[in-house]
Amino acid sequence: MKDMSRVLYLVWAFIPETWLNSIGLTYWPQKYWAVALPVYLLITLVITYILIFGINMVNTSPLDSIHTVTDNYAKNQPQKKSQEKAIPALKDIPISEVNQMFFIAARGLYTKS
Amino acid sequence: MEERRSISDIYGGRLALQRRSYSPSCREFCLGCPRLSLRSLTAATCAVWLVAYGLFALCQNSMVLSTAIFITLLGLLGYLHFVKIDQETLLIIGSLGIQMTSSYASGKESTTFIEMGKVKDVVINEAIYMQKVIYYLCILLKDPVEPQRVSQVVPVFQSAKPRLDCLIEVYRSCQEILAHQAVTSTSP
Repeated sequence: MKDMSRVLYLVWAFIPETWLNSIGLTYWPQKYWAVALPVYLLITLVITYILIFGINMVNTSPLDSIHTVTDNYAKNQPQKKSQEKAIPALKDIPISEVNQMFFIAARGLYTKS
Repeated sequence: MEERRSISDIYGGRLALQRRSYSPSCREFCLGCPRLSLRSLTAATCAVWLVAYGLFALCQNSMVLSTAIFITLLGLLGYLHFVKIDQETLLIIGSLGIQMTSSYASGKESTTFIEMGKVKDVVINEAIYMQKVIYYLCILLKDPVEPQRVSQVVPVFQSAKPRLDCLIEVYRSCQEILAHQAVTSTSP
């Protein structure tokens, strides 16, 4: 299927109009498009790269956004009590606790000697 | 009690950290950014004037040159007054609140004060900033409706952007003061 469309494109682009007319195939798009469409496609590809990069930068939360700290799932999570000697359920640990653990409890972890 | 140190920011530039301890429940941290260097000022001025001279060579209108001089002067003044921050200070008073001061190169000072009743915690958060992941210190504010929730995040040292070693120091001092404050506020 792909090969056939490729052969058809090459036939349309290269064979002169008069020859195609003599066979009987008269109703074709202008030959201008045989060059224009690939150029359009390439430019679209280049712009897509830049656009996706830009969309990513726009969607990144700024430093003062609450979304860097928590979100709706974390706010509405059920507060289950952990049973003794069982693996605790998966939950979101608040940032204050994480900070205490990293920077106060484990003193040697981040400070260089 | 005063102490001065040289630390680096996230881009590798030099910052000056000065910490003062006024009392066990009152501490101040000053971060000084490097001054506007003569080299960058000359480079910017030369770039603008070369472009203006190029335009003048094209259209032979001398207004372009005077406009360029005007733009350079106004741009420099505006930059010094609105953009270039010389020093950032964080002052924590245990029973009162937290104050952040930014002093600009033209002498302007902008101050923000957050009272202790609104402060939930001071934490070091990680976030994506311009193709980098950085650590930054931020103040979490309580939700007026529900005190357990965080309603707002206020980042501090926004233009100085120190690295983690300085942040850990500031964080530990703040946590000491906040813990002390929590203890003294709950006991009658």
